Amino acid sequence: MIFLFVLSLLQVQVPDAQQFVGPPKGVPISGAMLDQRTNETASLLRCPVCQGLSVADSPSTMAQDMKHQVRELLARGYSQEQILAYFERSYGQFVLLKPKFQGVAALVWLLPVAALIFGAIVVVSKAKQLERGPEPVADAPVEDPYLARVRELVEKS
Amino acid sequence: MTMNRIVLISGIVIAAALVVVLFVGLGKDPSIIDSPLIGKPAPGFALKAVGTGETIDVARLRGKPAVINFWATWCGPCYQEHPVLVQNARVLGSEVQFVGVVFNDTEQKIQAFLADRGSAYPTLLDESGKTAIAYGVGGVPETFFLDKNGKIVAKYAGPLTTEELQANLRKAMQ
Repeated sequence: MIFLFVLSLLQVQVPDAQQFVGPPKGVPISGAMLDQRTNETASLLRCPVCQGLSVADSPSTMAQDMKHQVRELLARGYSQEQILAYFERSYGQFVLLKPKFQGVAALVWLLPVAALIFGAIVVVSKAKQLERGPEPVADAPVEDPYLARVRELVEKS
Repeated sequence: MTMNRIVLISGIVIAAALVVVLFVGLGKDPSIIDSPLIGKPAPGFALKAVGTGETIDVARLRGKPAVINFWATWCGPCYQEHPVLVQNARVLGSEVQFVGVVFNDTEQKIQAFLADRGSAYPTLLDESGKTAIAYGVGGVPETFFLDKNGKIVAKYAGPLTTEELQANLRKAMQ
């Protein structure tokens, strides 16, 4: 009976990361370093059943399962890059809390920089404009005959 | 062109872009995540069936279109969806293979659920949740539709109705 139970467990196979991202590229880790790297990697993954929480921070069972898998993969020697690629393959870029610099997601990085540069240009040009003072009136009459007559009378008196 | 005019036009352009992004974004259901697995072979797994203890390999599903339904006894909408799946599995059983995959749950609760509400296809227990993760499951119920070659052709998030089930099955049967 026990033999049959063990045999049935051995037959159970869950999808393995090796199937999708190949063999581990790093070295197996354990102890305090494993705890630290697990938290680091899990904090880069979005919990798919939460609102804006990372896998490291979420108390949901789904996030705990994901964190457990991150730990197991790190212990086997998988690199952080491979682990992120494994989760991205299943969930897409949505699962990455730090979007990649590619495609439409590149706008997330580029737009704030562009807005900052544009704002700086506006501020600098406005500051220069203030430094120069008000611009002279372009089409002012060269001499008003009435004003010339007044000036002439003043000079004579 | 004066500086004020440049600033005004730039502001209008940025505001218009923001309005377009918000308009497009607000029209989408934030709980629906597009699956990158569509068009790819279904991740392989072999899990134990609840009740019988038989191990079912996803490779065994090839040859006929298949429906893989991820669910759990603690999921409210799964109660609503279950009769739809059972009814369709009874009608389409010879043409389509149905499989349920339950995660974050216990065998005892699943057996009680099935005894109470009926069953027409194998229900497998994903104890570690790794199968659900490999399929990118973000909540239950979620259903994947496979063609006869084991390729994922569609994913549906939420409780299925007969119409939605059959519309997705048509894609799998093409």
